[in-house]
Amino acid sequence: MGKNLDVLYAMWYRQILRFWRAKSRVVSIFTQPIFWMIFFGLGWSAAFRVGGASGLFGGIDYLTFLIPGVLMMTIFMSSFMSGMSVLFDKEFGYLKEILVAPVSRKASILGRTLGDSTIAVLQGLIITLIAYPIAPGINILNLPFVLLIGLLMSVSFASIGIIIATNLRSFEGFQLIINMISMPILFLSGVFYPISTMPEWMKVAAYINPLTYGVDVARSLLAGVGYFDLIVDIVLLIGLSTVLILIATFMFEKATID
Amino acid sequence: MEYMIETKNLTKKFEDLVAVDHINLEIKKGEIFGLLGPNGAGKTTTIHMLTTLLRPTEGTALVAGYDIRKNPEKVREKIGIVFQDVTVDRNLTGYENMWLHGKLYHIPKSELKGLIKELLEFVELDQWANVILRKYSGGMLRRLEIARGLLHHPEILFLDEPTLGLDPHSRAHIWEYILRVKKEKNMTILLTTHYMDEAERLCDRIAIIDHGKIIALGTPDELKSMVGGDVIYITIERSDHRMKVLAEKIVESGISKNIKPVSPRVLAITVNNVSEKIPLIFDVAQNNDIKIREVRYTRPTLDDVFLRLTGRKLRDEKGSWVDIARMRRQIRMARRR
Repeated sequence: MGKNLDVLYAMWYRQILRFWRAKSRVVSIFTQPIFWMIFFGLGWSAAFRVGGASGLFGGIDYLTFLIPGVLMMTIFMSSFMSGMSVLFDKEFGYLKEILVAPVSRKASILGRTLGDSTIAVLQGLIITLIAYPIAPGINILNLPFVLLIGLLMSVSFASIGIIIATNLRSFEGFQLIINMISMPILFLSGVFYPISTMPEWMKVAAYINPLTYGVDVARSLLAGVGYFDLIVDIVLLIGLSTVLILIATFMFEKATID
Repeated sequence: MEYMIETKNLTKKFEDLVAVDHINLEIKKGEIFGLLGPNGAGKTTTIHMLTTLLRPTEGTALVAGYDIRKNPEKVREKIGIVFQDVTVDRNLTGYENMWLHGKLYHIPKSELKGLIKELLEFVELDQWANVILRKYSGGMLRRLEIARGLLHHPEILFLDEPTLGLDPHSRAHIWEYILRVKKEKNMTILLTTHYMDEAERLCDRIAIIDHGKIIALGTPDELKSMVGGDVIYITIERSDHRMKVLAEKIVESGISKNIKPVSPRVLAITVNNVSEKIPLIFDVAQNNDIKIREVRYTRPTLDDVFLRLTGRKLRDEKGSWVDIARMRRQIRMARRR
């Protein structure tokens, strides 16, 4: 047990260290969410104020509606990319060091996932703090709990990233797949518009999307408008994360060198 | 436990390509054992099986007393490995890489720091401990990997081509460390190499491997005595049928029965008395109107042993790189399934 904790900690710490070293990544990761908030958020916020369209968003300002979504979007995008590090380790050899160590591969992949999730959540925190001054009515007191839910959600996406990465060998392929599916995941989650007004088929897609529930929790607690019951959100997120991380560890355990 | 490593018909097939073919080896405690062979002979595949990264298709091996099939986790605890390709994290410092390794091998916190310091000093990288590995040279990375492989006090150290691609100075350095590890820690070391001088310099015993099979095994001296004398290399002026003529005439005149063409212009002639035989060879050449451009002779080397056994030069890869590329592709395809 102590042994597995050692591995968990070491792999967690490694992800944090690596992230910290890649300064350009630290900066670049914030640009997208900030652009969305400024250009999309401020633009539509002004437009929706005309004619009382804010009723669509539960009666709150559009920017206030958008920011909890962008917080979760930041966590989602960052954790989704974490499969990349598995590919890096394959390519640059470190994977062998892990595979020949007398440790549980479950613990090592779990540590890595938690490391990436920690980074993702920290990024979400920073984004929210940046956005706070321009968004009236964000209930910042609930932020710690929201970030905890964000951590749970990021485990799902980190796992999906790892599942994709263990089955691939090229960075280009990984980028391609991630880019291809992250757009629909974003738009089918209620980040930009409420689920309640979506067409039926879109709703169905949104219901199987972990991001939907993360966004819903964040919006309920930070902006005061939610679509699902909080309990439903949390239970479903726990369920999705558990299933996905189990699949990810299973895939990783099977991994051998090539 | 009689042997530190004991393989029993160890075999690995990638589809219809037999990379390692029923290998039986017994490696004693405290010896440096070399697997010598050309690229693609099956050395790395053997190492990957012994270090539990690949499952044998057939047969098995005992490593530090544990079966690589049944107890891979136990095996992993007992071994340290320096792979052919770099397996450190280049975004981290030397110290951080060592620290991570210590955690992976569950070394108590109280010992870890001192151990890391000691080993970094051993490979003379203590000044570089807090430098990110991107700034390290190839030789330094290798040294760090050796230090890391020793961190958890393994009983057996695997070194896969430890000096591949290094400059002569770094090679000499690495050799020195390897010999010191054996001497100071009484470590059992299995190394692979396709460098003759490396195998001769370091190994107590050597197995020569070719096409996945062990074709010879013994101490460097025993292997060299297989050549049966010294080797004279004769280079003739032109590469044509005359080389064959010369070889036939030398056999006829009873100078040597063991003649092998090394290249279109070079003959390797094994004899037991060089100083008497060289003039005789010149006589034969002159009588047959063949001009000799160059003569040199050597004490037998492992190169000669390999040539004797396979008819090929160990490092002559001119004709064979296509084969190697084909084989690597086959391996990749097989793994993709």
